[in-house]
Amino acid sequence: MLTEEEIITSLKNRFGGKIYNVVIAKDRRVFVEADRSIIREALSYMKNSLGFDHLSTITGLDSGRELELVYHIVRENSLVVSLKTKISKTDPRIDSVSDVYIVAELYEREVYDILGVKFEGHPNLSRLILPEDWPEDLHPLRKDVTLEQITLRIDWSRVEDK
Amino acid sequence: MSGSVIKVVIGPQHPALKEPERFILEIEGEQVVRVTPRIGYVHRGIEKAMENRTYLQNLYLAERICGICSHAHTTCYAQAVENLMNVEAPPRAKYLRTIIAELERIHSHLLWLGIVAHEVGFDTFFMYVWRDREIIMDLLEELSGNRVNYAMNAIGGVRRDINGDKALKILKGLEVIEEEIKKYIPMIQREQTILKRTVGVGYLNSVDAVRYNVVGPMARASGVKRDVRRDDPYAAYDELTFNIVTRNEGDCFSRIMVRVEETLESINIIREALSKLPSGDIRVKVRLAIPPAEAVSRVEAPRGELIHYARSDGSDKPARYKVRAPTLANLTALCNILTGVYLADVPVILAGIDPCFSCMDRMQIIDLEKREKKFWTLEDLRRYAREWYQKH
Repeated sequence: MLTEEEIITSLKNRFGGKIYNVVIAKDRRVFVEADRSIIREALSYMKNSLGFDHLSTITGLDSGRELELVYHIVRENSLVVSLKTKISKTDPRIDSVSDVYIVAELYEREVYDILGVKFEGHPNLSRLILPEDWPEDLHPLRKDVTLEQITLRIDWSRVEDK
Repeated sequence: MSGSVIKVVIGPQHPALKEPERFILEIEGEQVVRVTPRIGYVHRGIEKAMENRTYLQNLYLAERICGICSHAHTTCYAQAVENLMNVEAPPRAKYLRTIIAELERIHSHLLWLGIVAHEVGFDTFFMYVWRDREIIMDLLEELSGNRVNYAMNAIGGVRRDINGDKALKILKGLEVIEEEIKKYIPMIQREQTILKRTVGVGYLNSVDAVRYNVVGPMARASGVKRDVRRDDPYAAYDELTFNIVTRNEGDCFSRIMVRVEETLESINIIREALSKLPSGDIRVKVRLAIPPAEAVSRVEAPRGELIHYARSDGSDKPARYKVRAPTLANLTALCNILTGVYLADVPVILAGIDPCFSCMDRMQIIDLEKREKKFWTLEDLRRYAREWYQKH
């Protein structure tokens, strides 16, 4: 059984200064920030060497100036590490991790849908939950997109026609 | 062979059951060669809505994420918010949450069992199971005031207590349902209608179950002993003893057996929880002033691992609230299982993951060579499946 501290130590030994802002919020709940350049490598290391074989989901969020991705990975169905990284809001790109965790393929499509993040190397980055005719540049979970804007941008006449 | 590939579109309409969903199946002869899922028909933008509502309002919104396992969502939500505030529900509340959660699991598993019986054309069994499920629904109504969307959870505890009288009613109901379920088990194991359609169908081995990050009964039916209740305990589960039911066959039959046996475990969990029910408050008073923080909350919903992630920014509304329900987690594996199976096995495999979108009502068949389109209803697909099995 690896403890929360041991996991942090191995991560820091491996990636040094690219791992920061570590918070052990409570038992089995760790929050870590990592530089976006090492995300794929870090997840692959945690999966293959530290036993984090389960990706629960990927949360994408708009923290104001930047976008953030949170990868929730689980070890022995018990210890959850939420690995966070920041990416630019104007050109949101990051390596896809769908070759590390197969299920990431779906979760990345969801983040692409709601925030417009481009996952590089993703085999099929297409809409998952939004309709096909949803406006290309309208990312509903961005903070500058209000509920009113969403209502205005949707072409209701087309909906009524159908 | 590409000329003989036919696209079969299943869904998305669903007047009878739970949620809409569309699968595009490419078939070659009788065999499925490729599966493309299209989800989102019931995407209601709840995560965006939550950012625009207070923590208290969101409790009611969380209740409405799912009509079957609403308690799993509110438990997960309440835990997340309690985490953000650094408060804990009192012990009695944790036990009450557990009792409702297990009642919910029984009703959810029985609902599913009825659906599977219907899918294979064993409607008598479907009627039996749904009749018995009413015992649980009545109990839930008695305890919470509602058959569904029980609204038992509050931030900091639960809303209603279970006193001696109600506890007796639960025990009485459990006795009846236990007896019935114990009758079902040999019936399921001997009935050819079920065996012929489920044994060896929709196979998923344990290595793939882990690789595809499969959750819940689906994982346990493939021999993966994972259950959030034991591995990452919440509510009162760390103080209760229960078995984690697993089977190694990894087919639709083992998915039935795992869920049926889990209902028996749930009955025992409720009995133990009632006998150990600690005295004291059912709720701590909380001031909903939430500091900037983040929290991950997990629950073993009837369909498997449910995870919520909350981030607060010091205001009265969450900066971000993320929900990942178990069906999405199992979707990747489902598509993989469907690849290579016979078209006739599709309904039962789809139902086998206990999807929260269980029904596909209309099918559109496109023959790529002739550019013809045909429409099938789900009933047509079921009938096709049953007739196919009579012939083969």
